[in-house]
Amino acid sequence: MRLAGRFGGAALSLLMVAVLGFFLFRVVPGDPVVSMTRGRPVTAEMQAALRAQFGLDRPLHEQFWTYLTSLLRGDLGTSFTFRRPVAEVILDRVGPTVLLVGTATLIAVLLGLWLGVRAAWRRDSAFDRVTTGVSLTLWAVPTFWLGMLLMMVTGDLFPSRGMRDTDTAPDLLSQALDVGHHLVLPSLTLVAVVCAEYALVMRSSLLEEMHAPYLTTARAKGLRDDLVRRRHAVPNAVLPAITLVFLRFGLVVAGAITTETVFSWPGLGLLFHDALTGPDYFLLQGLLVVTAGAVVVMNLLADLLHGVLDPRVGVV
Amino acid sequence: MLELNNLTVHYGHKRVVHDVSLSLAPGQTLGLAGESGSGKSTVAMSVLRLLPRSARVEGEVLLDGEDVAAMSWGRLRAVRWASASIVFQGAMHSLNPVHRVGEQIAEPMRLHGTPGRVTELLEQVELPRDKARAYPHELSGGQKQRVMIAMALACGPRLVVADEPTTALDVVVQEQVLALMTRLVAEQDLGLLMISHDLSVLARTCEDIAVMQGGELVERGRTREVIANPRHPHTAALTAAFPVIGDPAHRWSDPAPAPEPLLRVRDLVVDYGRTRAVDGVDLTIGRGEIVALVGQSGSGKTTLARTIMGLRAPSSGRVIFDGVEVGRGSRAIKAFRRQVQLVLQDPSSALNPRHTVFDAVAEGLRVHGVPGDHEALVTAAVERAELRPASLYLDALPHELSGGQQQRVVIAGALVLQPRLLLADEPVASLDASVRGEIVALLLRLRAELGLASLLITHDLGLAWQIADRVAVMHQGKIVEQGPVGQVLLTPSHDYTRALLRAVPQV
Repeated sequence: MRLAGRFGGAALSLLMVAVLGFFLFRVVPGDPVVSMTRGRPVTAEMQAALRAQFGLDRPLHEQFWTYLTSLLRGDLGTSFTFRRPVAEVILDRVGPTVLLVGTATLIAVLLGLWLGVRAAWRRDSAFDRVTTGVSLTLWAVPTFWLGMLLMMVTGDLFPSRGMRDTDTAPDLLSQALDVGHHLVLPSLTLVAVVCAEYALVMRSSLLEEMHAPYLTTARAKGLRDDLVRRRHAVPNAVLPAITLVFLRFGLVVAGAITTETVFSWPGLGLLFHDALTGPDYFLLQGLLVVTAGAVVVMNLLADLLHGVLDPRVGVV
Repeated sequence: MLELNNLTVHYGHKRVVHDVSLSLAPGQTLGLAGESGSGKSTVAMSVLRLLPRSARVEGEVLLDGEDVAAMSWGRLRAVRWASASIVFQGAMHSLNPVHRVGEQIAEPMRLHGTPGRVTELLEQVELPRDKARAYPHELSGGQKQRVMIAMALACGPRLVVADEPTTALDVVVQEQVLALMTRLVAEQDLGLLMISHDLSVLARTCEDIAVMQGGELVERGRTREVIANPRHPHTAALTAAFPVIGDPAHRWSDPAPAPEPLLRVRDLVVDYGRTRAVDGVDLTIGRGEIVALVGQSGSGKTTLARTIMGLRAPSSGRVIFDGVEVGRGSRAIKAFRRQVQLVLQDPSSALNPRHTVFDAVAEGLRVHGVPGDHEALVTAAVERAELRPASLYLDALPHELSGGQQQRVVIAGALVLQPRLLLADEPVASLDASVRGEIVALLLRLRAELGLASLLITHDLGLAWQIADRVAVMHQGKIVEQGPVGQVLLTPSHDYTRALLRAVPQV
C-alpha cells in the first residue's frame, strides 16, 4: 500500500514534469521561431515552414497531445541547432555527465559524511573548526569561480578543456587514463561544493544524536568510543543525510551546468548551456524533462532506501 | 561491593552532588529517593563513570574495592556491564531505534565474551522468544523495559543500577516490572541500587532507602523505619506527597452535591481502522465538577479526550456541551474549544522553547481573535495560575522556569480564554512530589473561585482520591465503572478496578 503510494506519487510528479516542460516554453514571450532564428538571414516563408515543421502552427491542445504521445514513445522532438532528434543528442551526452556527476557525488558523499562525523564527534576541536569553516566557505563560493580558480592554481598540471585529447592512442588504457586526467579538475570543483553541504548536514545531524540516551546505554555496555559512534550514533544520524544526498541530486546536475561549461566537459550541463544560448526550445524541453525525471526517480530511490535503513518507516 | 566515599560532583561552579557516602553489599537492595535536581541520577551515572566530560568528580567510587576513577579506559570498559549494569529510565530512548532488540541484548555478551543465549534472557524477563527480532518501536513500554532488564542481566553482573525504571509506565505494568525485578534480584542474589522519585516504588522493592536533597544525602535507613518515622523533614514531605487511597487526611476536597451537567458524552464510538478505541462511552461532567478518568495506557482515555476536544471525529455518538450538541463545522468546534481547554502532561514539551511566557499565554487570545487588552488579560491569567507578580514572569523563556512554573504557564494559557472545562491529561505525572501538591491545590482553588470543571485523565489513582468528585474507570475502550470517588475506590464493583487498585504501590 505504502509502496504503491510512493510509486503513484513519483508517476504523478513525472507527469507534472512533462506538462511543465510543455508549457514552460510555450509561455515564453515572443515567437519561438523568431527568437531561434534571430541574427540569421531568414525569410517569412522559411519561418512559416519552420513553424509547420515544429507543429507550432496548430492549436495548443493538439500540440500538447502530439507532445505527450510522442514523449511516451521516447520521441522528444527534433533539435533545431543539431538537426537531430533531441533524444539522440541527449543520449550522446549522458555518458560524460554520469561519469562526472557520479564520480563527484561518490567522492563527495564518502568524504562529506566522514568529515561531518569526525567534526561532530569532536565538537569544537581544531578539526571541527577547520572543517566547518572550510565547508561554509566552499558552500558559499560560486561554482564557476571556484572552477576557474582551480584552473589557474593548478596551471598546466591537469587539462582544463574537454574530456579527451585528439592525439591520444586509441587503446583502452590510454583512453581511460586520458579521460581520468581530464576528469580531475571538473570533478574536484564539483566535489568541493557538494561535499561541503554533506559535511555540514552530517555534522548537525550527528550533533542532534550526540546526547541520545541510547548512546549512554552503549557506553555503559563497555563499547569503545569508535564503536559507539560507528554502530550506534552514525546509523541513526545518517538517515537525514541519506535523504539529502538523493534530494540534492538535482542540484548536483545543476552544478554540473556551470562546471561543465567552465571546463567544456561534453555532458548534459554543457548541452544545457548550448541549448540556452540557441535558444533551442525543443532541446531545452527535452533536457528539462530528462533531468527533472532523473530527480524524481532519485527521490523515489531515497524514499525506498530510507525505508530499508530505518525500521520505523515501515515495510517497503 | 559498591562503596561511595565522600562523592562530590561539580558541573562548572554548580555542585550537584555533595559529600555522599553509601555502601551496598551483594544481595542488598538500596533505594535512592529524591526529586529532580537532587543529584540521584548523577550518583547512578558516577558508578560506571558515565558522567559527561564537564563533570568534576571528587571522592571515591569503589566497585569491588577498585576505584572507578583510577581505572584505565580499557579496564573501565571491561568492568562496565560485566561487574555492574544499568537499567536506564525511559526505555524508549535508551534502546537504539534502528537495531533489533535481540541484537542489542547480544551486543555486550559478544563484547565481554559472556556465554549464554538471548532467548534464555528473554525467557527470564517473561518475553516470548520471537521478540528478539523486534525493533524497539514495535514493543510496548513494559516490553521495552523488560528488554532493558534482560540486557542488564546479559553479562551476569553482581550489581544492577536501575534509574527510574518504571517512571513512564502505568500502574499495572509498573507492578509487573517491579515484581519481575524483585524476583530476579532475589534469584540471582544481585545487588540493586534503585533510583526513583517515587517512595512507594522504592518501598515496594528495596530493603533500605536513602533520601537525597539538593545533592546531599539527608537520611538513610531500613525502608520500613524511614517511611514510618522519617527523621528528616524532606523525607516526611516526600512520604506525605503520595496520597494514600482511603485515608481521609489525603482527601483534599469534599464531593460536591450532584451539579447540573455541563458536558455530556452519549454513546461515543471511535474507531482507528479496524480497532475500536472508544466503545460506546457515556460520561457526564457537571458544572464545577472534577471527574477522574482512570485506566491503563491503551485503554482509550486519551482518544476519548481528543474526541471530546473535537481533535478527532467520532465514528458515532454525540458530545453535548451546555445543552447544545457540538457541531462538526470548524467554526462551531472553534467556539467550543474556547470553553474547553487542554492541559498536557509534560509542560516542557507543551511549551514552545522560543516563546516567552507572554507569547505562550497570549497565543490562545490571538487564535480566537479575542478583543481587548491582551496584556491585561494575560497578566490576570498568569496571576490566577499563581505566578505572582506576573511582571516577573512574562518575559521569561520556558527553560528559565522550573517544572512546576512551566505547568502553571500551561494552565495560565488555558485560563486566559476563560474556559468552563479543563481537560487535564496527567497534569502532575511529570512533576516532583512537592510541586505536585501545589498544582493539585491550584486546580482545586480554580474550581472554588471560577467554578471550573475538570476532566482529569490519569492512571494515578492517588490523584483521583485526592481531588476528584467522581471516578470513571476505562478499560479496553469501555467505561466499566463510574461513581463517587469513595464508592469506586473503596468498594469497587468491577474486577478491573480491583486489579488497578491492587497494583498501586503503597508507602
